[in-house]
Formats: sequence, structure tokens, C-alpha cells
Amino acid sequence: MASVAIRGLKKAYGSVPVIHGVDIDIEDGEFVVLVGPSGCGKSTLLRMIAGLESISDGEITIDGRRVNDLEPKDRDIAMVFQNYALYPQMTVAQNMGFALELAGRRRAEIQAEIARAAEILSLTPLLDRKPAQLSGGQRQRVAIGRAIVRHPKVFLFDEPLSNLDAKLRVQMRSEIKALHRRLRATIVYVTHDQVEAMTMADRIVVMNGGRVEQIGQPLDLYDHPANLFVAQFIGSPAMNILPAVAVAPGQLRLSDGSVIAAPPGFPLRHGREIHYGLRPEDVRFGEGLPGHVIDVEPTGSETFLVVSVAGHEIMALAKERLMVAPGDPIQVALESPKAHLFDAKNGLRLRLPDAA
Amino acid sequence: MTLASRFFRQPGSAHLDPILVGLWISLIILAALWIAPFIFIVFTSLKSAAEVMGSSAFSPPADYAWENYSAAWQRGNFTTASFNSIIITAIKVPLGLFLSAMAAYALACVRMRWRKLFFVVVLFGTMIPFQVMLAPIFRQVNAFGLINTYPGIILPYLAFGVPYQVFILHGFFSAVPRELSEAARIDGASHFVIFRRIFLPISLPVLAALFILDFVATWNEFAMALVILQDSDMWTLPLGLMAFQSQFQSNYGQLNAAIVMTVLPAVIVYLIFQRYFVAGLVSGAVKE
Ligand SMILES: Nc1ncnc2c1ncn2[C@@H]1O[C@H](COP(=O)(O)OP(=O)(O)O)[C@@H](O)[C@H]1O
Ligand SMILES: [Mg+2]
Repeated sequence: MASVAIRGLKKAYGSVPVIHGVDIDIEDGEFVVLVGPSGCGKSTLLRMIAGLESISDGEITIDGRRVNDLEPKDRDIAMVFQNYALYPQMTVAQNMGFALELAGRRRAEIQAEIARAAEILSLTPLLDRKPAQLSGGQRQRVAIGRAIVRHPKVFLFDEPLSNLDAKLRVQMRSEIKALHRRLRATIVYVTHDQVEAMTMADRIVVMNGGRVEQIGQPLDLYDHPANLFVAQFIGSPAMNILPAVAVAPGQLRLSDGSVIAAPPGFPLRHGREIHYGLRPEDVRFGEGLPGHVIDVEPTGSETFLVVSVAGHEIMALAKERLMVAPGDPIQVALESPKAHLFDAKNGLRLRLPDAA
Repeated sequence: MTLASRFFRQPGSAHLDPILVGLWISLIILAALWIAPFIFIVFTSLKSAAEVMGSSAFSPPADYAWENYSAAWQRGNFTTASFNSIIITAIKVPLGLFLSAMAAYALACVRMRWRKLFFVVVLFGTMIPFQVMLAPIFRQVNAFGLINTYPGIILPYLAFGVPYQVFILHGFFSAVPRELSEAARIDGASHFVIFRRIFLPISLPVLAALFILDFVATWNEFAMALVILQDSDMWTLPLGLMAFQSQFQSNYGQLNAAIVMTVLPAVIVYLIFQRYFVAGLVSGAVKE
């Protein structure tokens, strides 16, 4: 197993830049998830680590060795693709053994590796089937098996669960996590699904428009997003964002004119424009500003509420059961010590002076 | 419900579908039109000279005149002609297909400069009807001193067969998901291994189809062979057949026996390889 270091990495297709200088340090045995909206360059970054895309500028090292100019097969990596990319005319066993066969390993050794991988992934009864005779989940497991027989230093996953249905996705999620614990492998995992990122990662790299927005542990990103983008991308439903202006000390005026108290401790200059961010679970009811209910979605354990208040639609999550119906008036408390403030110009989260 | 009437309904429908009925009728008429000459030829090839004159064209032979075949074989010098045909076809068809497949793979999957340009140049080869080229080719082959030789006919055959096959295979290879060859690259496969172990196996149905078409075309090719193979010892079956026809055109039985013998190998090859037409080998490679 190995560490991966990415330094000043850039990628341009012709004159179109798609990765604008990325630095990431991945530790030995770490499960790192690259997450971001579609088209932000996650796959491109992963494919550069794999050696499938050339590197325009910067450097990638695996275990301290610079791999920029190495062929994919010489980088000691294995990759699992979204569409599985199994060899259709080969059986499951042949698919898994292909790399070892090409590496010139002895037959008995190959058989043993295939048997071991099949055991781990419960594929043993399927070894003689062709990919066409497998379900989606089974195909994805074969693709993972093809990776693990080689004992690579780094596993690369590109949206491996996107083609599976919801139930299978949750199951494969925990299987991949279990596999990570078992193999203690270094894994770089790409997804656009922030729930997948939150539940699987040791550390998350949030990407946007070919740049890294923030790197951190899942709950760290949730509690301390570096900027507006991360704040809105991580968490489901997303954080509510309300434009506001600082007025009297410790007071914020929302766009409809209502005034609320700012979270304590921020020295806000009068007239400073900010964005006020509040997670759905931090919204309280029964006091505060008047509003009305737009929609109610009870899930049983908790209740999602869409309310209209201060000229905005706000998503709220209540732990208790609320007996309200659309159209009902409701008092909404937007003030919370957990609220975040973001600079309106650059989107960066404001930090408390002592923490900064 | 009778077996026949089932073909004329949509699945699950109780009513006859007039479109289906119409399609079936046209299909049967077309098939009959295509089969009629074959029946005529096969029947006639088994009739004695007297019976050819005395019976209707589509009546089955009264007793089988198998000696038409041995006589035609002897008189047409078919031993030499079929030997030549076999040599030329057996070299040209597999070799051409192999070259086309490699070129198509390179044009579809190998990153290189001028790739589009090369492809256009190859495509250009599909646009020139070779009849136009007969005279220049004759001069070219003559200049190489290859008139009346196997290479003299095989090389032009290759030149005219390859572009079309490259075009077809390029389309097929381009549609193979690129993750498949990327996975193989990560597994340590070179381009040649990817070509041989991944692309050739999954394109078997296409290769079989091209093989049949090319086999039949090469086996039956006439004009180029006529120009380049002038010595009767170098003649292929179609040339032998033409010579036979001009000499023995009144002997219908033997003439048709000669035709059957000329066509038969193409039919056999077709029957052997047509089962590979059944596609579906690619299914399951990736999720659709
Ligand atoms: N071969 C290519 N040529 C030109 N642009 C490309 C190519 N591949 C990807 N891109 C562009 O690079 C950007 C990042 O793509 P990608 O890494 O696939 O995004 P993601 O995986 O995050 O959805 C996209 O804007 C895409 O259009
Ligand atoms: Mg992608």
C-alpha cells in the first residue's frame, strides 16, 4: 500500500483548461473520496492518476516515485469503472485472471488469487459465467475482483455505484468499506453523490470547476465548510442561504427588511454584505419571524418542512412530529449559534476572531 | 389457432394484421424469385441432353445424370481452375481481413498524428469503382512483371477489398466503449494484445459477415482476373466457366453442372459462417 501525492496538477484539452492546479496528499491506507458536481474534473483527475490521461503540468507521485511518465500498468494501480468494463467474451475467472496472465504468473498462482478474490466477493459460484449472465451488482463485484487480484498499491474507483439501483448501492457501499478495512488499501474514489462521500470517506476532497474547494474529514466539512460552495454541496437537504446586511452591532437585516441577531462573536462592520447560512436541522419553530408552511414531508422519524419566511423558501428538518398542513401560519426562528456567515463577495466563511 | 395464422398476428392480438400478411406475402414472392434460377440450374445440371430439350425447365430430372458433373469437370479443366481459385481466395480473404482489422484498430483506437487524414485517404479507396482502374492496374501489374502470377492478382484484390472493410470495422471498433481497452491497458495489455484478445473476439460477428461477403466476392470475381490472368493455367473458376460456356454452350446439362460446381463453395462457406451473424457477443460488456 502506498501514499499518493498530487502537486500543482493541471490538465488542458488543447487550449481548454479543465484542471487548474490541484494539490492533494493521500496517506497510506486512506479512503479518499473526490466529490463535486458533474463536469468538475473528478474523472479527469482520477484518470491522470491512473495514467490514462496525460499530465499537462505538475506532478503525481505514488509511494514517493514520480509516475508522470509511467504506463498505467507500471504504476501499480487498479481501476474500477462506472460501466464495469468487463471483457465480454471471457468468463468471470478469466476476467479476474487476465492481468496476472499478462504479467506471466504461473497458472497455479493465478488460480489461487482468483479463488481468494472470489471468496472475498462471494463470486465463487459464478466463476464460469460470462458477464452477460450476471446482474449489475455481480458485474460490479467482478470488476472489483479484477482489481484486487493484483494487490495494487492504489485502488481507483470512478463512480462505481452509479449504475446500480438504490438498495444495491447502499449494500455495495458497505461492501467496499469492508473491503477497505480488510485490505487496508489506499483508495481514491470518485462520486458526484455527497451522501456516498460522507458515508464512505476518511477524507473528502470537494472539487468544483477544476479546483479543490476544500479537503477534510466528512463531519469537519459539514461543520466547518470553507466557503459557500462546500456549505451548499455537503449536506442533504442543502444549507439555507439568505443574503443579509450587517446593521446595528450584532444585527443582520434580511432582504425583506426583517432583522435577526447575528451569531455571537463576529465583529461585523456596519453595512457589510454577507450570506447567512443555516442548516435545515438548526431551524426552530414556535417563536421568531412569522411565516407559513408550503410543504410537509413526514418520514416517520423526522419531518421535512418547506416554509416561506422573510421572503425566502426555507428547508427545515424537525426531529419532533409537527402537526401542520400546507398554508398554516408558523413562527420560524432563524437565529442560531450554529449559523454560518459567508462573505458575499468571495464566498469564504467568516471565522470567529479567536479561531482565526 | 393454426400455426400459420400465428405469424399474421401481433403478439397478444386476436386479429390478423394486414401489414404482417403483406410483409409475409412479399417475403415469399421475393424468396421464390431468388430461388427459381437456382432450382432451374440444379435441375438442369442433372438432366441428360435429351431430357433438357424434352422437359419443362422446372420439372425435376427423371433420372439423375451425374455424369454431367464429371464430364464438365474434365472438359472445363476445373482441376486447375479450382486449385487457382482456392489458392487466391485462401490467401486473399484471411490476409485482407487481418490487414483491415489491424488498420481499423489503429485508426479507431491508437492515438496518433494525422489519424483523421489517414482515415479519409483509406475511405477514398471505397469511392473508386475498380472498373475505372482496370487499365491503370493492368499497366502497373505489368510493370512489376506480375501478369499471370498469384501476387499479381492478390495485391490488387487486397487494395480494393481493404478500404471497405476498414470502413466497416472502424465503425464497429469506435463503438466499443473505451473503458474496455483502458481496463486492458491497466491490466498490462499492449495494443497488440488488446487487439487480439479483446477486439477480435468481440467483433467475431462482424468479421464473419465480412468474411462471407469477401469470400463470395473474391471467389466470383471476374473482370480483374480476366485482365491479369491470361494464361489458361492461371484461370480461376469464373474464367474457366466462361471458357466452358463459349465452347459448350449448347450442352445445357454440363454447363449448369459447371455453374453449380463454381457456386457451391461460396454457398458452403456462407452456410458455415452465417451462424456467427448472430450478434449479442458484446452484450454484458458494459451496462447499456
Ligand atoms: N477528451 C476530452 N476532451 C475535451 N474535454 C474533455 C474531455 N474529457 C473531459 N473533458 C471536459 O473536462 C471537464 C471535466 O470532465 P470530467 O473529469 O469527466 O468531469 P466529472 O468526472 O467530474 O464529471 C468537463 O468539462 C469535460 O467536458
Ligand atoms: Mg466522471
